[in-house]
Amino acid sequence: MKHYLLTILCLLFIFVDHCPAEEMDIDTLMQQVEEALNGKTAQMNLTMRVKTSRLERTIKMESYSVGKDKSFIKITYPRKDTGVTFLKIDNAMWQYVPRIERVIKIPASMMLQSWMGSDFTNDDLVRESSIADDYHCKLIEKGDEYLVELIPKEDAPVVWGKLLMWISKEHLIPTKVRYFDEENQPVRVLFYNEFKKFGDKMYPSKWVMENETIEKKGNQTIMEITEAVFDQPVADHYFTKRALKQFSQ
Amino acid sequence: MIPWKLVLKNIRGYRKRSVVTVVLSAITTALLVFSSAIMDGSHNTMIKNAVEIYPGYMQITHRDFRDTPGYENLIFDLDSLRRSLANIPDIAAYGARFETYVLYSTEARSVGGMLTGIEPRAEKQLSRMASSLYEGEYLDDEDGAVVYIGFELAKRLKVGIGDELAFIGNGADYSMAADVVTVKGTFRTGLFDFDASAAFMNKRYLDEVMVSRNMATHVIVLPANVEDCGKIEDRINQEVGGDNVAESWFRTMASLVQAMKLDSVFGYITLGIIFIVIFFVIMIYTLLTVYARVREVGVMRAIGTTPWGIFVMLVSESVLLSLVGVLLGGLLGACVAYYFYLNPMEFAGYEEQFKQYNMVATAIPADFAPLVIARDMLIMFVLCVCSTLYPILRLNRYRPMDAIRHV
Repeated sequence: MKHYLLTILCLLFIFVDHCPAEEMDIDTLMQQVEEALNGKTAQMNLTMRVKTSRLERTIKMESYSVGKDKSFIKITYPRKDTGVTFLKIDNAMWQYVPRIERVIKIPASMMLQSWMGSDFTNDDLVRESSIADDYHCKLIEKGDEYLVELIPKEDAPVVWGKLLMWISKEHLIPTKVRYFDEENQPVRVLFYNEFKKFGDKMYPSKWVMENETIEKKGNQTIMEITEAVFDQPVADHYFTKRALKQFSQ
Repeated sequence: MIPWKLVLKNIRGYRKRSVVTVVLSAITTALLVFSSAIMDGSHNTMIKNAVEIYPGYMQITHRDFRDTPGYENLIFDLDSLRRSLANIPDIAAYGARFETYVLYSTEARSVGGMLTGIEPRAEKQLSRMASSLYEGEYLDDEDGAVVYIGFELAKRLKVGIGDELAFIGNGADYSMAADVVTVKGTFRTGLFDFDASAAFMNKRYLDEVMVSRNMATHVIVLPANVEDCGKIEDRINQEVGGDNVAESWFRTMASLVQAMKLDSVFGYITLGIIFIVIFFVIMIYTLLTVYARVREVGVMRAIGTTPWGIFVMLVSESVLLSLVGVLLGGLLGACVAYYFYLNPMEFAGYEEQFKQYNMVATAIPADFAPLVIARDMLIMFVLCVCSTLYPILRLNRYRPMDAIRHV
């Protein structure tokens, strides 16, 4: 009898102890992943190559960001698009196009449109960084990498049905994210490759987004980080609507 | 051998029965002819509206464009396609379009919508865009940075004639395409969603902005005779080949065609129920009138007329009466159908309900098709004759003595 009681008490202890601990673990893990991915601040030079079945296009840009809430992007190549700037503050996004000399707020209805013809959408730029706020996270595997399943919260303004995220145990940065639609069909997959040291920080220098839909199978967007400075002060004046025009030159 | 004299005598003799039978057949036939004319007329109006307002009778696109619309599936050698089309007879007009989605922006607000580059002069023949002009002017082939915009979209953007608006989108090479354009005119097709999201520019100018020279999303073809869409479609597909494919309106708007067919089926089921009722009314009426003649038939049998002779006589009466009724009814129904063909029925005040069916006009003309009228008359004739067979067969079962004694 004593033996049974001891077993039940042990099981109860393990159960009570285990559940909150796992929840806390996954929350902490996701927080660390977000911090590692975004940094406190980041200044980057990027080259984006968009490959479709018809053509390949290269775009170069500068990016400035503070945490997950503010970012500023300026296109520097090709010449036709040079000076186009984007500003993201929280969940809102504006863009400035020198040819028409106007600052335009991108409405919610256009958030799913392709960004600069790539496999990224405007929504990716705005929403991607709020994963911890919008999803229920569940740790599925703890093998060589963490595999986390992200299911959108009921009231979250999210277009995906599910995300699967593979996270490097060493760097606490995703190595792969697969996006599923609401019918649980894979839509696209994002690989974070070629980890490099930028200052003191190890960071994936090559992001590859592959389209998995039948219509766009084979389309690929490769984002390469050529230079990056993390956790150094970024001037506040980048994150104003005035900056869109001011830094367009 | 049909005893015509006797048949005619009987018809004249039983005048009341004859008149009622003729009237019943005539009203039913007129009802069928008119119902068919209105049903077909409304379907034709819906299809005509849907086809002519914007999509056109025939579209040539890249073969994958309909399933996966996008810049990967454009017509990439428009000039060569034009040369091929020029060699095909029986084409009244054709014109290229470049459809894309952009973000329109004014000081007041930004709205996403469709922007289409058209060849203004050709488009006049291909769609109702020019005739849907509401304010200002339609486009012409020399136009530059001007836009012809949906009335509702203009309202949403708070712009009028002469005002400027900007648009941003992706060019055919996926570069950023943007421009500031002046509103030249507004159109109002009556299709709310279309008027609230579409705008048009001269394709030649838009091609510079979108880097889409010698490219198109669609080439719209108007056959010289729209009834020949199928033949012209085959001819174009033989001539053009390659990655592009021509499709007639009954393929591009297959869902609408299916919906119309389904609606017709329901319409005919309703009419069928009415006809079953009418069939039994005529049958019961014939049964009563035939039973009033049992003794007469008994006497005829007693003097040597065969059951077949009786059958032929009674069926001949039925055929004659039905023929007169169906002819009168067919004529009446055709006249009414023709009147409403020339003077469509007005349903003012039901605009919103009509819009749900993509119908812009609230006037529905009847369809006046002599072949369909003849078909309906034949159906009614067969129905009327058949409805009298059972009473006649029952009457013929009487033995002469029983029939003579029948009270």
